[in-house]
Amino acid sequence: MPQTLVQLRTELKKGNRSSFYAKLSKELDQLNRKYHVLLERTEPSHTGSGPLAGIPVSVKDCLCVKDVPSAAGSEILKGYIPPFDATAVTKVKNAGGVIIGKTAQDEFGFGSFSVNTNIVPKNPHDPTRSCGGSSGGAAALTAALSVPHLALAESTGGSIACPASFCGVVGMTPTYGLVSRYGLIDYANSLDKIGVITKSVADAELGLSVIRGYDPRDQTSLDKKIPPVPKRIVLGVPKEYFETVDSAVAAAVWDTIKKLEAAGIPYKKVSLTATKYALAAYYIIATAEASTNLAKYCGMRYGQAAPLEQREMNEYFSAVRSTYFSSEAKRRIMLGTFARMAGFRDKYFLQAQKVRTLVIQDFKKVFKNVSVLVTPTMPVIAPTFAEIEQMSPVQHYAMDVLTVGPNLAGLPHLSVPCGTVKNMPVGIQIIGDHLTEATVFSLGKCV
Amino acid sequence: MTVIIGLETHVQLPTKSKIFCGCKNIVTFEKEPEPNTVTCETCIGLPGAKPQVNSQVIEFGTRIALALECKINNTFSFSRKTYFYPDMGKNFQITQHTIPLGSHGKLLVDGKLIRITRVHVEEDPARLVHIGGVGGSHVLVDYNRSGTPLVEIVTEPDMTSPEQARAYLATLTQVLQYLGVYDPSTKAVLKSDANISLKGGARVEIKNITGEKEVFEALRFEMMRQKNLSKQGKRTIQETRLWNPELSVTQELRTKETEEDYGYIPEGDLTPITLEQRIILKEKQQLPELPAQKYKRYQRDYKVAPKLAEALLADPQLAVLFEAASKKIDSKLAATWIAGPLKKTLNWNNRRLEQTDITVASFVSVLKLFNSRKLTDRNAEMLIRYLVAEGGQPETLIKKHQLTGSGTDLDKVIKTVIKNNPKAARDVTNGVAKALNFLIGMVMKETKGTVDANTVRKALEKALR
Repeated sequence: MPQTLVQLRTELKKGNRSSFYAKLSKELDQLNRKYHVLLERTEPSHTGSGPLAGIPVSVKDCLCVKDVPSAAGSEILKGYIPPFDATAVTKVKNAGGVIIGKTAQDEFGFGSFSVNTNIVPKNPHDPTRSCGGSSGGAAALTAALSVPHLALAESTGGSIACPASFCGVVGMTPTYGLVSRYGLIDYANSLDKIGVITKSVADAELGLSVIRGYDPRDQTSLDKKIPPVPKRIVLGVPKEYFETVDSAVAAAVWDTIKKLEAAGIPYKKVSLTATKYALAAYYIIATAEASTNLAKYCGMRYGQAAPLEQREMNEYFSAVRSTYFSSEAKRRIMLGTFARMAGFRDKYFLQAQKVRTLVIQDFKKVFKNVSVLVTPTMPVIAPTFAEIEQMSPVQHYAMDVLTVGPNLAGLPHLSVPCGTVKNMPVGIQIIGDHLTEATVFSLGKCV
Repeated sequence: MTVIIGLETHVQLPTKSKIFCGCKNIVTFEKEPEPNTVTCETCIGLPGAKPQVNSQVIEFGTRIALALECKINNTFSFSRKTYFYPDMGKNFQITQHTIPLGSHGKLLVDGKLIRITRVHVEEDPARLVHIGGVGGSHVLVDYNRSGTPLVEIVTEPDMTSPEQARAYLATLTQVLQYLGVYDPSTKAVLKSDANISLKGGARVEIKNITGEKEVFEALRFEMMRQKNLSKQGKRTIQETRLWNPELSVTQELRTKETEEDYGYIPEGDLTPITLEQRIILKEKQQLPELPAQKYKRYQRDYKVAPKLAEALLADPQLAVLFEAASKKIDSKLAATWIAGPLKKTLNWNNRRLEQTDITVASFVSVLKLFNSRKLTDRNAEMLIRYLVAEGGQPETLIKKHQLTGSGTDLDKVIKTVIKNNPKAARDVTNGVAKALNFLIGMVMKETKGTVDANTVRKALEKALR
């Protein structure tokens, strides 16, 4: 059995792609029945060549794939068929990748358990547990498949790292701007990053090398080179990132840090003092931006519509939005709209922007002394659906406490499996300075 | 009672493409395109589409800001202005809020400085087509206009009368014409919103005013309305009103309580823009001479009277013709004939100079013929009419329409006139001045004005001596 994308590519070059895809199709049917990971399946065209020649690639529902329904896991956009490909999807197609379907997610990325949507994916390690979110379908599919596969995913506040950690796979969120967001159905523009979920670090590195690169259609995309890996790597262990963590999870991460130390990679204890404000700042900025991004869904041009019934236009828009947005989407629209209203903007939105600057400065200071930071990815193992039901919205949001920091700062971060607790995977998060993807990957391979 | 007026003027810019996508800008089209044929994922606002700033819009905006003596901000940015309306694809407009392209400018209008608060660029929404009129059966949306670049120019409340507001708008329009960013003969729209209050009273905003005459009428109406309220002991409330050009009144649109909160936030898809100093400097050096500077120069260097200078400046093409003609012929003569007969004829024919065959050389040749008395002033004027209306070269038209005096036998006409008016002829000989004028008139009538009046006078005097 091939273990990596490169091995699979080599095997497919020799063997018969059609029979591989016939077999894969059956496996996907089976997995989908069990774990509800795919929202849409596509008829794969698998004749391309390039670094991903013949490789099966799934795409998170929020990324537009031409002629394939793309609704970002939402009801209001259900059935929307984009007339163009996202840049990342074009790059995958040009590299010979084979798009197999759209993966399940929280509506518009609003959640950490992929439960804020109609089709809830399940964790392949234990189907009574969540696979994390919002890129839940992407991580669950990667974990469940018998062959290596590349999942295109997206993170705003931790939506790649979280499900990767819960499902025991690798999740890479690159530096903000490294991958073009053109064709991404926006959650929060200043935070959204397209990344990858794979079975191994090497696969994530290959996947990212294909989709990254400057794109004139996304003005926030970067035209910068990634520096080589430094000779000496020193880890930083931020104490604030262990404070709210389940002790068994913390222990698994510490074991890994000690192993790395034994292998000759020393660590230093560091402090990131702005951490405690990051979660609140994140939710204000993300919801404020989201509330403007979601304004366009009003039943006029695409997605769901409502009967006209001679209504005044505001009543019509309200009817469509009240019917088809989930309660979580409505909550975030209201929070976000409030935070940017005149009279409150200074107190909330602008204050959050200041905190964001502090968080970035905090990281920059630490990176003067250490090469990368290592932390747990999630404070707990994947919770059961029963546990999730008991959580308040604030407890939900608190799940992102370890991932919002690097996401607010736009830093590359990689979640790599590093052991188990109660037979469930635990992930270690490696956070690098901007554009240090090479260093982050090289350490990830040592875990 | 002092009136305080400020204006916000929006102008569609004639760039090649739209402000945030590669679609062509329909303002530059000669014919109205079929609805919704000049659109793409970005200007319709499809999920996943992203804006990209058109650098020509920034270039035009910078030029306008510099001409209005604004400070170009080191780094300026874009914001989202959120409100729900069917003409907006995204239900937010990308505009400039926190830091505009330019600020702290000024414009001299009839000797008074009007301070410019800010100059910024933004996108125009789609066009709504009300089937069966406003309030009719339904509304169609045409996204061809969505994403047309707009520049917004905002003044401080520095104007103190509707007349002054009209003069400001006329001056601004002229500046924009000279900058090559606005051409009133195209479909580009120039619209204003006005703020008006009586000293100590609440401020009323009037939306949707097109043109100088309307600005004047809307403000005069609103000023009277507010003064009348005050006379009746009532107070003006702070509100937004709509100008209705058909009825020539302002109508209530919304009061302060229902005023929209646009919830501005930065546009996360667009990075802030920093213009290099050298680009700003280059743009500054390339600014054309503006009307105010020309006005001074025409009086100083060409000794043109203020009224004439104003008339020449009103049309940039006539100003160009004047400056070129002045190199070859007396500038006062050129000014009189360009600002007078030529301008009148162009207006009469509803034509612009560039739409005629008139060149600097041909126009100068007409003036030279007039100057050397080969054409009477009436014939010269007739020639200009033919040049504008028919086109072609002066020599051909002179022949075709027999515009020279040479074709007429003046002596013969004079003999006939004297013979037919013996009393008047006698009176002239007896020194009655009025009688000479009468005979001149008779000769002019017979020669249909092809002969200059002075020539007729001399010839008559000679014949009757």
